[in-house]
Amino acid sequence: MANVTSDAPPLAADRPDDGPPPRRGLLARRGVTSRVPPVIWVLLLVPLAVELFWVFWPAFNSFQLSFTKWNGVGAAQPVGLKNYRTLFADPVFHTAIKNTVIWAIGFGGLSVLIGLALAVALNRPRRGVGIYRSAIYLPMVFSLAVTGLFWRVLYQPDGPINTVLAAIGVDTGEHQWLADPRTALAAILVAAIWRQAGYIMVLYLAGLKGCDPSLEEAAAVDGATAWQRFRFVVMPQLKNVNTVVFAVTVIDSLRTFDIVWAMTRGGPYDSTQLLSTYMYQVGFSLVNLGYGSAIAVVIFVLAIAFIITYLVRATREED
Amino acid sequence: MGPTPFTTPSLSRRNLLLGGAGAASALFLSGCIGGSPAPSTETSSAAGDINAPLTLQSDLSDELPKKAMESLVAGYSAHKLTMNTVATEQFRAQLSSYLTSQNPPDVITWLAGSVARDYAAKGLLLDVSDMWTGDGACAKFSPALKALSSGDDGKQIFVPTSYYWWSIFYRKSAFEEWGVKAPTTWDDFMAMNDTLKTKGISPLTCGTGSTAWMASGWFDYLDLRINGAQFHRELLAGKHSFDSAEVRKVMDTYATLIPYFDPKGRSYSWQEAATPLINKKAGMYLIGAFMTSAFPKGDLDDVDFFPVPTIDPSIPSAEEAPTDGYFASAKTKNPAGTKDLLAYLAAPAQQQAYIEGAGSSNLPTSPDVDTTKFSPLVQKGIKLLQDTKEITQFFNRDSSDALQTTADTALTRFLDHPDDVATILKTWQAAAQKIWNS
Repeated sequence: MANVTSDAPPLAADRPDDGPPPRRGLLARRGVTSRVPPVIWVLLLVPLAVELFWVFWPAFNSFQLSFTKWNGVGAAQPVGLKNYRTLFADPVFHTAIKNTVIWAIGFGGLSVLIGLALAVALNRPRRGVGIYRSAIYLPMVFSLAVTGLFWRVLYQPDGPINTVLAAIGVDTGEHQWLADPRTALAAILVAAIWRQAGYIMVLYLAGLKGCDPSLEEAAAVDGATAWQRFRFVVMPQLKNVNTVVFAVTVIDSLRTFDIVWAMTRGGPYDSTQLLSTYMYQVGFSLVNLGYGSAIAVVIFVLAIAFIITYLVRATREED
Repeated sequence: MGPTPFTTPSLSRRNLLLGGAGAASALFLSGCIGGSPAPSTETSSAAGDINAPLTLQSDLSDELPKKAMESLVAGYSAHKLTMNTVATEQFRAQLSSYLTSQNPPDVITWLAGSVARDYAAKGLLLDVSDMWTGDGACAKFSPALKALSSGDDGKQIFVPTSYYWWSIFYRKSAFEEWGVKAPTTWDDFMAMNDTLKTKGISPLTCGTGSTAWMASGWFDYLDLRINGAQFHRELLAGKHSFDSAEVRKVMDTYATLIPYFDPKGRSYSWQEAATPLINKKAGMYLIGAFMTSAFPKGDLDDVDFFPVPTIDPSIPSAEEAPTDGYFASAKTKNPAGTKDLLAYLAAPAQQQAYIEGAGSSNLPTSPDVDTTKFSPLVQKGIKLLQDTKEITQFFNRDSSDALQTTADTALTRFLDHPDDVATILKTWQAAAQKIWNS
């Protein structure tokens, strides 16, 4: 069954959208340098220069800043590793790390599961399926900040959620979802997944469109159950989409900021602090740029580690 | 080998990855790490260009205050003047970059107190001492305001133009309905809390959800009433411990108030917490006079206040009166023009025009403003501040925004778990110590 994947033709529909051909392929071809017209070099080098200046140079600065104490005024004082030592002893940082892990697993895991389930359920053409798909994708058009404000209203003590819960006889105690440290993070998670699941669904729908239905039919003829067909015939064909979804999800969960900031600002008493919100609070609300940069570096290292590990594995399997 | 699985989105995703992870770094682009040291003298700006155009950086971005500022700017003709309005949060974050930039805004709206003093100590603010002497624009302002506007070296670096008071606000008609009167002693106040509670009304409302700093209002006042303004200032300056018997006494009194708070306030912002008060579901609200902006226009006549009652009669009276105004950049190209603009903004006519236009309940700092046309509420506020012995500002303005976050964490936790007070105060002191040491 496993070689089903390698036999499958490369599918344009695997990709969520069409764009320019990958740079990698172009550069990888041997002897290509001599035949590349200068204009191509310009088109390559200009974006590289822009990226170096706008991405790598500030990132490098951030690394440098993390070894200093700087409030944005005057010269930064070098303090060596002090920021990192303080950071690892900082209880809020521990909460933020813990919450970021919970967030990555909860947000990533649930939005992928729900998104995939929705995609499979809504893949077959049926009457009105387009309406469902659009409705589920619709939250994606709101920015996370708007989503946060919208859900904040839903979660208010007298808000719709408590009204509905009281009407069906559950939880009459007017639970304060966002003010209770035990439920605040989960409440934000629900709002974020509500928005993300539609996005993941669209990615998987595109992937499912590229699956060869004859393979599934053949498996059905061979007596494979619905679960076996999904697990061993459809899933391997979704491998490319999985890579994209994984990368998107990890990056989205590590850079989650706006929805938490809009809903709780990391409160009550730092219980919903993520690395990103804590970095913002320290760096920009308190203008403690050295310490904030140290947190930014931790986020950077985490993101890079995740992505590189996964990409290396994915490329190796590809070969 | 087929295309890498990461094909199309790779470019944008990679940018996102690096850009997102190092979100902060993008803003550090200026690359001024270890760059030019802070200017320590003002000599460079002493001889400026009297014809250079002026820039006013304003954080007054709410609709009415912004409009009021625009009409003040339009009325200024001595120099070419441009105003940029930036929302407060962003303004706060960018303030230091405004002041350190090569071409800073000349006049900047901000708060008097520790923040201004810190910038002054770094030599970033224009010395406006001459405006406070002789027939200068601020010469007639009260000595308390002058002290508040002075840097550590005794020079004035701030031009205050308005301030407001904190008190316990209530609706007159609601008190009538419930048959209660504004209390004058602490015992009356506590008795009234009981009365209201038995009527099914939340005696106190306080929005400590998304505006956790509101919890410091009661802390400040209880500390002022129990330990006095002197102790309060020293506490916020790091001369006393939060884990001390004095602060413990404040927290014990605070704990007796907790049962009277509307528990839903934990989810509310300060604006949202005004709704129960407006709807007569809550009785009283300890807050700044800015709360009138959350009130429907038609009900404003119904708003009244009483000061937080005395707890210990041996402690001199004290009220919180946060002060707003302007400071100017030391690097302005046109110091004479800048001072002229500051004098214009601080003049009685402009103070009055701003307060009326902004629809705020702020008080003018100039004694020459004709206050007879102000609402009775504001007149009462003026009298409150005239009669009090000591004036403080607010927790963050008397200390720092960094210390305020430690208070937010400690006090909101305390409101949920008053029994953990010992641990909370210990953690608070440790967090505060870290800030004082840094």
